[in-house]
Amino acid sequence: MPSGAISLDGLSVDFDGRFELVDITWTINPGEHWLIVGANGSGKSALAAVLAGEGSSISGTISGVPERVCLVSYERQAELIEAERRKDDADILDVISEGTPAAEIIADASHDHDLAQELVDSLGLRPLMGRAFRKLSTGETRKVMLIRALTRNPELLVLDAPFDGLDNKSLGWLQAHLAQLAATVPMVLVLNRFDECPDFITHVAYIDDGRLLETVARDDARAMAELGKLLHLQTTDLEVPAADPSAELPPLDPGEPLVCLTGATIRYQDNTVFENLDWTIEPNQHWQLSGPNGSGKTSLLALITGDHPQCYVNDIKVFGFQRGSGESIWQIKQYMGYVSTALQWEYRVGTGLRNVIISGFFDSIGLYSKSTDVQKALADEWLALLGMSHRADEPFNSLSHGDQRLVLIARAMVKHPPLLILDEPCLGLDDINRQLVLALIERICASGKTAVLYVNHRPQDRIPGIEEHLQLDA
Amino acid sequence: MANYFNTLPLREQLAELGKCRFMHLDEFEDGVEALKGKKMVVIGCGAQGLNQGLNLRDSGLDVSYTLRAAAIEEKRQSWKNATENGFTVGTYEELLPTADVVLNLTPDKQHTNVVETVMPMMKEGACLSYSHGFNIVEEGMQVRDDITVIMVAPKCPGSEVRAEYVRGFGVPTLIAVHEDNDPNGEGLALAKAYAVGTGGHKAGVLMSSFIAEVKSDLMGEQTILCGMLQTGSLLCFDKMVEEGVDPAYASKLIQYGWETVTEALKYGGVTNMMDRLSNPAKIRAFDLSEQMKDIMRPLYRKHQDDIMTGRFSETMMADWANDDAELLGWRADTAETPFEKTPAGDMEIAEQEYFDNGILMVAMVKAGVELAFETMTAAGIIADSAYYESLHETPLIANTIARKKLYEMNATISDTAEYGCYLYNHACVPLLADFMKPIKSDVIGKGLELDDTGVDNARLIEVNEAIRSHPVEAIGAELRGYMADMKRIV
Ligand SMILES: NC(=O)c1ccc[n+]([C@@H]2O[C@H](COP(=O)([O-])OP(=O)(O)OC[C@H]3O[C@@H](n4cnc5c(N)ncnc54)[C@H](OP(=O)(O)O)[C@@H]3O)[C@@H](O)[C@H]2O)c1
Ligand SMILES: [Mg+2]
Repeated sequence: MPSGAISLDGLSVDFDGRFELVDITWTINPGEHWLIVGANGSGKSALAAVLAGEGSSISGTISGVPERVCLVSYERQAELIEAERRKDDADILDVISEGTPAAEIIADASHDHDLAQELVDSLGLRPLMGRAFRKLSTGETRKVMLIRALTRNPELLVLDAPFDGLDNKSLGWLQAHLAQLAATVPMVLVLNRFDECPDFITHVAYIDDGRLLETVARDDARAMAELGKLLHLQTTDLEVPAADPSAELPPLDPGEPLVCLTGATIRYQDNTVFENLDWTIEPNQHWQLSGPNGSGKTSLLALITGDHPQCYVNDIKVFGFQRGSGESIWQIKQYMGYVSTALQWEYRVGTGLRNVIISGFFDSIGLYSKSTDVQKALADEWLALLGMSHRADEPFNSLSHGDQRLVLIARAMVKHPPLLILDEPCLGLDDINRQLVLALIERICASGKTAVLYVNHRPQDRIPGIEEHLQLDA
Repeated sequence: MANYFNTLPLREQLAELGKCRFMHLDEFEDGVEALKGKKMVVIGCGAQGLNQGLNLRDSGLDVSYTLRAAAIEEKRQSWKNATENGFTVGTYEELLPTADVVLNLTPDKQHTNVVETVMPMMKEGACLSYSHGFNIVEEGMQVRDDITVIMVAPKCPGSEVRAEYVRGFGVPTLIAVHEDNDPNGEGLALAKAYAVGTGGHKAGVLMSSFIAEVKSDLMGEQTILCGMLQTGSLLCFDKMVEEGVDPAYASKLIQYGWETVTEALKYGGVTNMMDRLSNPAKIRAFDLSEQMKDIMRPLYRKHQDDIMTGRFSETMMADWANDDAELLGWRADTAETPFEKTPAGDMEIAEQEYFDNGILMVAMVKAGVELAFETMTAAGIIADSAYYESLHETPLIANTIARKKLYEMNATISDTAEYGCYLYNHACVPLLADFMKPIKSDVIGKGLELDDTGVDNARLIEVNEAIRSHPVEAIGAELRGYMADMKRIV
């Protein structure tokens, strides 16, 4: 580690029992400028605040933090406004206090007064200097906070959402100023919007649920793009698109289980994969199925989906159909969405993304039926949710592995099936893509009336909202 | 038994040959209803038997298998295929007397034997179906009067029949009713329901006749589909080696080249395949194919004539009677050819390079497709049928060569096709000997490597016009249009 590096090693920090950062290991080397990103509530502000000495350490170490760390954040802004308000409350004089003028708030904190004056002009604060700090608008107090920080000769500048609420002119000016400052002062920024990332940023840290999950070098374009998608999925206001109102599935009896296996057995000439398995999946019940490789997870699923020929010699009832009683496979499949690596291999087609998603209405690989305008519109909504609107006509087989998986999940969900089966949906994906897929599944679990059956061989890969668990043994 | 076709008067022969109509999707609105609840028993569980059965069962139909006693006792592959897939398997005695539909999916050469054995066990008014009409047309099998005889013939290898169904699609399928055996007039309804059960209706169904199916199927498989690809593979490989091309490269260019260049046929017929070449290369390919067409025309006519007169089937049945001595010998010879014995190299060959360095292969495909189509239609086979049996199936067969060369092709196609393929190859190799002599690596192996790719305008227009105006292109555009209507997105 080069000297002068800031280093967090296994650091866990508590914030008044409200939030915890967990086991953060992170190094900021000299010359690096970092951007911290994450969903709302992920802990990105907490991580920034730790650099400014906030929170109480539970375990681990932090070292190399310089003396003058200047932090601008909503929390700091709120604290200052609160302090001003308390000053007023404490005032027992019966004169109504005007509060501390903005000019004084700046002067109190600044080391470089000339620079402070320049910034006041540049950010258009001059006419407000005499006004009480707490009377300023949020955007104006934010500018005051920035000026305080920038004029203290910081050795590390930590700016949490510095661009929020700034008018365009101030924004442009501030960005230019930071770019200049970056030559001498290391910076850590927290931004909600990935596309606002300034050019001088060299690294990006991604945080979720209080954990630092990913650090990406700016010049790794692929990882940057994936991170962008992940943030989109976690932060977009777009909802999971609705079902097609004009093509409702024949209704199921709400009192009946979706799946009921009795004494299920798969046996070949020379081996028995499993035997005598009973399993019932009720509507809206989320299940995790785990077990080591070879324990028969995929075969078990195939009994349910009808892709295993021995489904015809087992006692299986799915969606009200006793298997082998004259039902067709397409009557079964219409009630299910299905995603697996095997499906992804099968789905080696040059079909455009929109059509791949529409094919979910027909349970087909490729699209062979005419689609309606409603179906097209719904597919486009899904693409928007995935942040892929501009790629609607790109061929599916030109997509990265992770993107294909996302599109296939959208395809499986587009008809809002009563049962969504995800067979190792994260298999073969790197961390960012795993996060992406899990984020999408989490949104789906929370979104409606679909029971999710999630299969993986790592029981620790859990999805919030999945309560039931079936474990197969080798 | 006599050749059935030859017993008909010319008028009826022509009428039967000319039967072929592309059916519309709305003709299949009844789905599998006509077969619902009926007991379907498949004889044989090989390539077609297993895969058709899997589809029919997944379509909600009642399917079980009957195998000859030895296959059950010895637990042969066919028995394993059926039991591991969860089907009921029984002897003829156990299953046939209650069967409503009996699907004969045994090899063609066993049909007479099989049908004679099972017919007495079939119940009154049952239905017997085939996936190829050889037994009825060429051997003149007489089926009991009360039995309905139909044909549902997928125009694809069995593995494709299943794979396409699982994708939610199907393979183009030909259906027919044997007019002499349709006592209750229900043959067509049964054949349509069966085609729906296999998924064929989604990809297009041709309503045809036993006769048109046999005479066109035999012609296609012997000539362009298998014969031409085998002859082309052997000649092109030997030529490249003679010209000093790296044998590993030559092997790869051919093994994957057929698949790559014929893939272009799927999208836009011969025109599109030729358009993948540069202008000078296109003109060269055109000239080569014209030359080859002149040389090979009599051979194509001979194959069609022998098929029509029954001479071909007689020859082949004589070999059946002789324990397939010729077939097995020719199969062994093929395995010993330099092309088969030289593994493909692991060099990269870009998609376009297969065209640029395979001008002669493109010319062979063009010549074969056009000749087969011309010869079939001249013999009274309708254009739709001729299209499916020539251009349409070529890429499907080419795929098999890409997998494991000629061995794989000949293992996948029927013995009948394989036998005809060797007959063609034995005649065609010597026929093209003089043509091949002056051929250099510029048209096979290395590409034209021209500094100036200019061509004469008038000549290019003439060539394009000739390619585009061939009758296989018009019917092809129409039939591919139907497929596109069904929004097949490849
Ligand atoms: N392959 C194709 O591409 C294709 C395409 C369209 C139509 N077809 C037609 O489909 C039919 C079946 O062809 P295929 O390629 O599926 O055949 P295949 O793979 O060779 O299978 C034939 C099956 O029949 C059984 N069999 C053989 N001899 C028998 C006998 N004497 N009695 C009873 N069963 C016997 C075999 O089982 P055991 O030997 O274990 O008894 C085997 O299961 C043929 O009419 C063919 O023309 C084939
Ligand atoms: Mg054929």
